[in-house]
Amino acid sequence: MKAILRAKGLWKEFNGAKILKGIDVTINAGEFVAIMGQSGSGKSTLLYNISGMDRATKGKISFDGEDITNLDDEKMSNIRLKKMGFIFQQSHLLKTLSIRDNIVLPGFKAKQDSRKNVNVYAEKLMKRTGIDPIADHDIKKVSGGQLQRAAICRALINHPDIIFGDELTGALNLAATKEIMDIMNEVNGEGTTVMLVTHDAKVAARAERVIFLADGNITDEIVLGKYEEKSFSEREQKMSKWLGKQGF
Amino acid sequence: MNAKILQNDFKRNRASNVALLLFMTLAAALVVVAAIVVTQLITSMMGMYSAAKPPHFLQMHKGEIKPGLIDAFNASYEGVTAWQIVPMIDIYGDDLKVYGEEVFSLSDCRLDIGLVKQNKEYDLLLDGDRKAINVNKGEIGIPVILRDSYDINLGDTVQLTSNGVTKAFKVTTFVHDAQMNSTLCSSTRLLISDEDFEELFGNVGENEYLIETYFIDSSQASDFQSAYEKAGLPQDGQAVTYTIIFLLSALGDIVMAMVLMLVSMLLVMVSLMCIKYTVMAALEEEMHEIGTMKAIGMSYKDIRNLYLEKYKMMVAVGIVIGYVLALILSNVFTRHINSTFGKQPISMLTIGLPFAACALVYFITNHYCKKILKRIKKVTVVELLVTEKGFSKKEHAKDGLYKSKTMPVNLLISVRDTFHHFSGFIIVFVVMFIISGIMIVPMNLLNTMNSKEFISYMGSSMDDLLIEIDSGQNLDSKYQVVQKLLEEDADIEDYKAFRRVRIQAINSAEEWINLHIDCGQYAGKALKYLVGTAPTMENEIALSKLNAEAMGKNVGDTILLKVNDMLKKCIVSGIYQDVTSGGYTAKALYSFEGVDTEKYQFTINLMNGINVEEKASQWRDKIGVGYDIEPMEEFISQTLGGVSRQVEVIATAVILIGILLAAWIVVLFMKLRLAKDAPQIAAMKAIGFTNSDVRKQYLYKILMVSMTGMFAGTLISNILGARIVSMAFSIMGLGISRITFIINPWAAFAIVPLLLLAVAAGMTWMSAGQIQEYHIISLINE
Repeated sequence: MKAILRAKGLWKEFNGAKILKGIDVTINAGEFVAIMGQSGSGKSTLLYNISGMDRATKGKISFDGEDITNLDDEKMSNIRLKKMGFIFQQSHLLKTLSIRDNIVLPGFKAKQDSRKNVNVYAEKLMKRTGIDPIADHDIKKVSGGQLQRAAICRALINHPDIIFGDELTGALNLAATKEIMDIMNEVNGEGTTVMLVTHDAKVAARAERVIFLADGNITDEIVLGKYEEKSFSEREQKMSKWLGKQGF
Repeated sequence: MNAKILQNDFKRNRASNVALLLFMTLAAALVVVAAIVVTQLITSMMGMYSAAKPPHFLQMHKGEIKPGLIDAFNASYEGVTAWQIVPMIDIYGDDLKVYGEEVFSLSDCRLDIGLVKQNKEYDLLLDGDRKAINVNKGEIGIPVILRDSYDINLGDTVQLTSNGVTKAFKVTTFVHDAQMNSTLCSSTRLLISDEDFEELFGNVGENEYLIETYFIDSSQASDFQSAYEKAGLPQDGQAVTYTIIFLLSALGDIVMAMVLMLVSMLLVMVSLMCIKYTVMAALEEEMHEIGTMKAIGMSYKDIRNLYLEKYKMMVAVGIVIGYVLALILSNVFTRHINSTFGKQPISMLTIGLPFAACALVYFITNHYCKKILKRIKKVTVVELLVTEKGFSKKEHAKDGLYKSKTMPVNLLISVRDTFHHFSGFIIVFVVMFIISGIMIVPMNLLNTMNSKEFISYMGSSMDDLLIEIDSGQNLDSKYQVVQKLLEEDADIEDYKAFRRVRIQAINSAEEWINLHIDCGQYAGKALKYLVGTAPTMENEIALSKLNAEAMGKNVGDTILLKVNDMLKKCIVSGIYQDVTSGGYTAKALYSFEGVDTEKYQFTINLMNGINVEEKASQWRDKIGVGYDIEPMEEFISQTLGGVSRQVEVIATAVILIGILLAAWIVVLFMKLRLAKDAPQIAAMKAIGFTNSDVRKQYLYKILMVSMTGMFAGTLISNILGARIVSMAFSIMGLGISRITFIINPWAAFAIVPLLLLAVAAGMTWMSAGQIQEYHIISLINE
């Protein structure tokens, strides 16, 4: 399998505290990886550093074979725009734009396709995530689940190679969480790599591989295999057992 | 507890709090400076006037007088408290040579120069400490307006050469002259010792008298003037009342004080907007905390006071720093006042008014904060915690970006953000609107005053050169000399000659008053008339605006003139604007033969290609002293001298202050805006926008808002500017009530707007540079 993302000896210090302590990790193309760990274990920091959103103190990161450790703002932004998609716990959509405008904006900016085609693709994504009826709504007038779906659409608009998610269901109820994770599994099923941070075992059970982080180090990992809905309770049990072993 | 909250808040929102503090400081500093200038101007003028005691009514007179007649008249006039007749020796500028670091004569000085001795009790010439000056034999005191125009220093020698007499004086002091301290006055006085004066009086120059009268109430001067003129007392010269003396002395400083007050009011307004912006941002940000406080039962007043105390403290600190800053800065603005009116000791008013101005600013901002914070009372816990509707009338997202087909993304976002959410940029709009407005008005006024066409407001036609013969005897022979000179000069295209006479006329109150009439074939032609036209027949007369008002006459009315003891009826053909001769002139075709000439005037047009200045100099050399020969522009510049210089200083200062203010406000606005927009900027960067993209967006937004503001400001100032200036001129009674700006389109519509825009762009780009330091993750996770 081809590695899409690789971190070697990744260190991150912040205000004298060592958050990541020389992490080595490889994410393969098309993989769905979840990162778990206690609060303060460094899981979100790992996600932000490995995605180039933050700068590591030490270590090397390569994305799609290219060293992105010290890329300048222009080049890193271009990778974020065209090859990566981000979904946060809060949607972080632009308040002055409608749902649809928020989704098409990175598409217009990337100029990988005509604006007409970007609009057509945005419509398709919205239909798929079920938010097409609220496409032209103000983002302040829709629910948290709908906002997260819009954030997913925005992350997908430029056909990224990888999607990063940081506690993307953290603020949602059970039903909304299930709907969002179904979409994530679908996206991954179409070949997009997914890497997400979660503290929710149900969410992590959707992943192909789960990495456990403790005190800035990867202490263990479990391979669950490609997700199938029918085997969900079995995966969940396996996860529970494994997490118990990690003291989670 | 509250102190701790304040401390934490200050740490957390440092950028917006510092920006607000700086706004308040600057606004308070300018308010205090304006208050100091106003009090300094009022107290200095009052102080100087009470020490110098300038006359309530002044009649200048050339030639001999009979003091007994004046004494008898004044003694019998009710309300007169004192009078004096001050002799003065009129000399030409050519007669005075200054030997200092350089050697030069005062030949180019348009002011009539008079030598005087110190008076005993009234109309005293003062030093910088407002003490009556007494110079010794061989010493001379130079008026401060000459010191400001020429390089004359203490210790220099001034040599007088006139009528074969040569005498040297040493400059030992500078004179503060309460009644002649503006170039708008036609004369200036140099102080010499009593002994030197007695030695020179009658032997050099010409004798002139200042007939000065004082009343119980200075407003009696106008009635007195009519009675004085009717009595046929000496009046061969200009007559001025206390009001005009006062106004001419302080015109420049009054304008400066008005500009300062305007700018400080503008800053207070901007600060209020800034406060609203900051308070609303804080309320929105702390919506959940406020909701929780309400939910646990804290009263509206308790919650409000948490915020109010913070802003009260910041406003108070800003005002205190501003006050101190103003005390340091005020010297720059009061220097001219001090140099013109002498040193003013600190009075209660000097301390009290700036303090009161600060207190007013404090109470206005405090009241305004309370008004904004009332929103805490109106909002419900549900709106804060459940629906998260919050405080402000939410700006709704406007759909439609996706419809754009070609516009670059950064520009597209900027255009939409600017015009759909314009209220977020209202500070920049208002500032640019006002700054461009106030920058253009003095600039247009200066351009108008410096233009040759301004001569039409000075009662003359717009020609190349002006020759005046108004001093000395033998006016008629001098007239012949000039006429011969002009007839013989092949470089002249045409010339017009005018004769000024003084005629008695009956005003609307049936009183006889003096009318100074310029007569001649071309009299009144080529002037701009407020109403009516130039006289076309010998029984017609055109009146200056002030004369028409004083006489209560309109176009078509008849006035009675007394010419050689015969009555002559004239019909008013038109009313024009004139600032010369105190604004009281008239124009007629009738020749008034047999009436003494007061003055001759020639306006001359030269052939194309002839250098006007060289020609003036050539004629001066040819016909010698006793003639005022000036290029028309030089004539305007010297007559308006101080005023146009002060307008120039004001225009330059307003442009500089405007640019600095624009720069400062854009920087502070950007600080506030970036602090507010930080999470949105982080979101943009997270989805792939570069630092440079975000900077460009702010640049486009500020430029669009600035251009809109500047367009509106320029438009309004061009529509209203001339009207406001006309109104100001009209109120000041200078003889102009309708001024039309002569606009330099390059300066008004290109250079100044582009300069302002460049400053706004530069400051925005620089301020937006801080985006590079934004840490996306910490902003997103806040």
